[in-house]
Amino acid sequence: MKLAQGVIMAWGSVRAHPLRTLLTVLGVLIGVASVTVLVAIGQGSTRQIEQQLQSLGTNLVAVNIIGRGTLNSLSAEQIDRLMDMEGIDAYAPVIAGNVTVKAGNRSMSAPLEATTADYAWIRNYEMERGRFLLDIDNALAQKVAVIGPEVASELGLADPVGETVMIQGVPFRIIGVLESKGSSIGGSNDNRVFVPLQTSRVVLRTAAIRTVYVRVAEPEYVPGVVNLLNLRLTNLFGGTSGYSVFNQQEMMKTVGDISGTLTAMLAGIAGISLVVGGIGIMNIMLVSVTERTREIGIRKSLGAKRRDILFQFLVEAAMIGGIGGLCGIAAGLGGAWIFSRAMDMPAYPSPGVMLLAFGFSLGVGLVFGIMPARRAARLDPVEALRQP
Amino acid sequence: MNTAVSESASRHPPLILMEGIRKTYRMGSETIHALNGIDLRVDRGDFVAIVGPSGSGKSTLMNVMGCLDTPTSGKYLLDGADVTRLGDNRLAEIRNRKIGFIFQNFQLLPRLTAWQNVELPLIYRGMPAGERRAKAAEVLRKVGLGDRLRHLPGQLSGGQQQRVAIARALVGDPPLLLADEPTGALDTKTSREVLDLLQQLNGEGRTIVLITHDPEVAARAKRIVRITDGMLAEERGMAS
Repeated sequence: MKLAQGVIMAWGSVRAHPLRTLLTVLGVLIGVASVTVLVAIGQGSTRQIEQQLQSLGTNLVAVNIIGRGTLNSLSAEQIDRLMDMEGIDAYAPVIAGNVTVKAGNRSMSAPLEATTADYAWIRNYEMERGRFLLDIDNALAQKVAVIGPEVASELGLADPVGETVMIQGVPFRIIGVLESKGSSIGGSNDNRVFVPLQTSRVVLRTAAIRTVYVRVAEPEYVPGVVNLLNLRLTNLFGGTSGYSVFNQQEMMKTVGDISGTLTAMLAGIAGISLVVGGIGIMNIMLVSVTERTREIGIRKSLGAKRRDILFQFLVEAAMIGGIGGLCGIAAGLGGAWIFSRAMDMPAYPSPGVMLLAFGFSLGVGLVFGIMPARRAARLDPVEALRQP
Repeated sequence: MNTAVSESASRHPPLILMEGIRKTYRMGSETIHALNGIDLRVDRGDFVAIVGPSGSGKSTLMNVMGCLDTPTSGKYLLDGADVTRLGDNRLAEIRNRKIGFIFQNFQLLPRLTAWQNVELPLIYRGMPAGERRAKAAEVLRKVGLGDRLRHLPGQLSGGQQQRVAIARALVGDPPLLLADEPTGALDTKTSREVLDLLQQLNGEGRTIVLITHDPEVAARAKRIVRITDGMLAEERGMAS
C-alpha cells in the first residue's frame, strides 16, 4: 500500500473521533508548544544581549568600579596611569547619574553621562545634528550638552542645536543631537544626555569616576590589555573584588554558554513532555486496535497482509503525533507573540527548532505506535471476524 | 474415509481439492476435533451448498477453504496450488486473488462508502487509484447499486449491503466465491433476490461454495454436501 493511500486511510480514522484525537495530541502539543515559546523568548533575549554587545564592538573594553573599602572611584590621574600601555587607542572616563532636564515649561528625567570627546568614537555613536563634545569643551569646562533624539522630542525642541536647557537648574547649551539607537533590555537608548567631564560637579555634585570605556587598537590585543588592566586594578584595590573589566568577547562567550545551557534544559523538558505525549498516543492506539478488531479481520480476509495493517496503524499514530506537533508549533508561536507584546520584549521563534520539534513529534507517534500496530497486525483473522 | 465426488467431474483440474483435511483445537484441557478427515472436490463452475447444524464444523471448513486458517493435517490444493502449509503473507495474497468472501452480517466497513468498501481488495492488490475506482464502480453497477456508490452502509438496507459485499467479493475477479450464511440476516424477499444474484453469477461461470443451515437456501445450489461432526456426506449430485 502506498504512502498516500495510508495517509488517506489514517486521516479518515483520525477525523472520525475529533475529540479523542485532540485529547490524545495534547501531550505532544504541550511539549512542542513549550519548546517553541521558550526557545523564542530565549532567542529574543540572547539576541538582544548579543546586539548590545555587538554595538560595543570587539575592540571595546569597559572598566567598572564597584568600590572596596574606602576606594570607591578613581581620579583622572589614576586612570591615566592605569591606561598607560601599548595597544590602547583611546579611553573615555565617565561619571554617570540621573538628572532633570527642562526646556521652557517641559521637563523630563534622563540618564546623564559626563565624559570626554573620545566617547563617541569609542562607543560608535553617530551625530544626527551638530557635533559631539570636543577636548576644548572639557578644557574650558564649557556648559554644553549633547542629547539623544528622545530628549529633543520630549522637550518639544524641533531644532535643538543652539537652544538652552536647564540641567539640574543649570543652563547648558545644546551642541548636538545623537542618531537614534533604539531600545534594548535596559530600556530606551535615545534619552541620554552627555556633558563634558569637567562639568560633573555642577550637575552631578561629584567628580568620582566609576566607569572607563577603552578602545583597543586590534581585537588580538584585547586579552593582553584586559590582563594588564586586571593586574593593575588588583594592585590598586588590593584584591580582585571592587572592580570589573568587561570585554565583549568574553561576554559573548558567556552569553553563548548560558544560551547553550538554557537550550539543553528546554530540550530536557520537551523530551519529558513528548514521552508523556507518546504514552498517551500508545494508550489510545491500543484502545483503537481493540475497537477495530473486526475491521482488521475484514481487511485481512480481503487480502491485507500483516505489514499492511502494521503500516496503516503506524501512519495513524505518526499522524496523531504530527498533528500534535503542528498544533504545538501554532500554539507556541501564538504564545511567543502574546509574551512579546505583554512584556515588550522581542521573541524570535527559531524555524530550525520548530522543524526539529515537529520531526520529533512525528517520531514519537511512530515509536509509541509500534506496539499497538504490531498487536493489530498479529490478530488472527478468524478470531477478529467473530468480534462484534 | 468420506468422499464427496462432483457430479460432472470435468477434465479440467478442480478448483478445490481437499484430501484428509483435519483441524483440531485445544480449548483449555480439551481437544476439539472440528474437522475429521474431509475429502472434497469442487470443479470450476460448481455451485456447492454445505449444509449442517451449528457445531458441525461448517464454519471451520469455510475458514480452511478460505485460507483464513490452516489445517492441522491433510492436503489442500486451491486452483492447482498447494496452500496447506503456506505462511501468513502468502495466504493473504491468495485470499486477495483467489477468494471472494461473503459473510452473514455483510462485514462492511461502516465509515467507508459502498464505493470505498468495494475498492478495498484492489487497494491491497496495489492497483492504482483510477483503475480500481473504475472497476469498483463497474461491479457495483453490475449488482444494481450504481446509483448508491457514495452511500454509507448505514444508509443502505440489509439486502443492499449484502449486494455491496457481493460486489466487493467480485471486484478482484476471484475464481471462488465463499458465502457463509449469506441470507442469514435478510428477510425472505431479500434473501430470494440475493440468491437469484448468486445463481446468476454461477450461471456466468463463477464457482460458488455456500455454507448454510437452511435446506431451502441449500436447494438453490447445484450440489449439496452435508457436514456432520466434522465429516462430509454428499447428498445430491453424487455420482452413483
